[in-house]
Amino acid sequence: MSAGHRVFVANRGEVAERIIRACRELGMATVLGVSVADRDSMAAGVADRVVTIGSARSAESYLNADALLHAAVATGCTVVHPGYGFLSENAAFARACDAAGLIFVGPSAQALETLGDKTRARELAQGLGLPIAAGGRAGDEREVEEIAVAVGYPLLIKAAHGGGGKGMKLVTDQTELIGAWKTAATEAEQAFGDGTVFIERFASQARHVEVQIIGDRAGNHRVLGLRECSMQHRYQKVIEEAGQDLLPEVHEQTVIKGSLSLARRLGYVGLGTVEFLYDEERETVSFLEVNPRLQVEHPVTEAVTGLDLVREQILTCVGGSELATEETVDPVGHAIECRITAQDPDRGLIPSPGTLTRWRPPRFGYLRVDSHMYEGYRFPPFYDALMAKLIVWGATRSDAVENLDRALEQFEAQGFPTNLPLLRRIVAHPDFRKGAVTTTWLTERLEGGEL
Amino acid sequence: MEFDAEELAALLELLTGTDFSYFQYEKGDVRITLTRGEVPHPQSTSDGDAPTSRRSRTTQPKTSAPAPISAATTRDSVRPDVVADDGPVIQAPMMGTFYSAPRPGEPAFVAPGDAVEPHTVVGIIEVMKLMTPVVAGIAGVISAIHVENGQLVEFEQPLFQVKTSA
Repeated sequence: MSAGHRVFVANRGEVAERIIRACRELGMATVLGVSVADRDSMAAGVADRVVTIGSARSAESYLNADALLHAAVATGCTVVHPGYGFLSENAAFARACDAAGLIFVGPSAQALETLGDKTRARELAQGLGLPIAAGGRAGDEREVEEIAVAVGYPLLIKAAHGGGGKGMKLVTDQTELIGAWKTAATEAEQAFGDGTVFIERFASQARHVEVQIIGDRAGNHRVLGLRECSMQHRYQKVIEEAGQDLLPEVHEQTVIKGSLSLARRLGYVGLGTVEFLYDEERETVSFLEVNPRLQVEHPVTEAVTGLDLVREQILTCVGGSELATEETVDPVGHAIECRITAQDPDRGLIPSPGTLTRWRPPRFGYLRVDSHMYEGYRFPPFYDALMAKLIVWGATRSDAVENLDRALEQFEAQGFPTNLPLLRRIVAHPDFRKGAVTTTWLTERLEGGEL
Repeated sequence: MEFDAEELAALLELLTGTDFSYFQYEKGDVRITLTRGEVPHPQSTSDGDAPTSRRSRTTQPKTSAPAPISAATTRDSVRPDVVADDGPVIQAPMMGTFYSAPRPGEPAFVAPGDAVEPHTVVGIIEVMKLMTPVVAGIAGVISAIHVENGQLVEFEQPLFQVKTSA
């Protein structure tokens, strides 16, 4: 079933190395497509074969669908793993893989299309009885004003084809409404090639909770637990957690059942994440969007379930592997991940690439570091700032927090500024210790100069 | 492997009366390249992964008398992307499948010894059925070919060595 497959890895950084490692354990050969800037990357060192796709610019390498497909076919690959970001949610790429006889590691192109349009995903969720935030799509100024009255302020204007914080506008009162709506539509048209926007109620005291789903080709679907990812800066996750009691019991059942029904309706194959917001003031949960791919934060789920998610993802997509029949899995203990990035916390977290002169991750039990760093590595300025994911486990959340504290204390990185000092300050903060952090907490503290 | 001067002399003797402009001989890690005609000076190739010895020669039949033979040898241990310091290299402008001729069975766009101008098409790179001509980008004479017809070439992979007049 897994033997004989050769996997083309269409990504870079730590996730490329993570995928190659999973393939190796499955006995699958790997071919890595790299840009000129990544020829010396750690992933390039461990792949069975490396093909230089194009220049350092993503558009000519990691987003160059035709070149990636051509390389995959020419090197005899049978499977394409897109990782996260880049082409991982691109329906046209998934379809082109199918047409070229390659197995795309992800859900069907049709599912990607539905989920890529946030208004369609929202309507699908609503139709299945999932709770959604007040709001909707508005075609003209009158409809915008009608929806705004129904939703109340503050509200969010979101691009239908955005996601992960891209294409969002916060509107705090009525005088800003029409201007913001027009700007959002124009920006969405420019950024995503589609100016469709919709309006949603903005919950100022909310927690981000997401559900890990997986489906196989036999039509089985499972929930592999929840994650809490409220520690965000400008909608970019910084710290993620997995464990028990991330939501009040009644809401936990709502998001699990809702996610399973979404997965079934979509005939979902592979890994996916259904994102929700829990409004602490109203004590309501609402559907946000589905990320139809491997998530950056998947290791926290692995830490509390003992599963290798990338392995499961590949096996379910390649076929021949059926999931166990129980619908959910009980987490054991608590896991926390933090993202170590090449960003300078003293200068508004601007990217700070350079040459890494010292890199000494901590070493002790209950600890994992997913990283493509090595001493002497020249961190390229062309891509995202992620250097490493530090994942700790503990029998309880407070045990995990203690481990995280110790791990960050021992973590040594030199050569250019990193966000490590900021992570240490966050972990030392009483609000984080209590688990009393909402999605706006970090941004507010950073802008207020409190961290 | 030791270089055998006697063997080379015998080879040259054998080739003196024949009509050719490019000849390559490989034995172990020694490679001998002979050129005649448009190329007045000794040339060397230094490609490793992309052997050119089995390429068919596709230049026009010669009517002039055979020119004196020139010969050069190199040790075949140099990687293609670390090309010796003997002239500019035409690199692949994109990743894809390289074709040396417009259609299968037709003569190659260029052969060793051919003069090229910056706009001269030297090959085609195919990416998912889309054919893109590769131009020389420089004026000179093709002195070596580092790529085989139908081979997957990577971005910036050396394709041809060019001898410029300067």
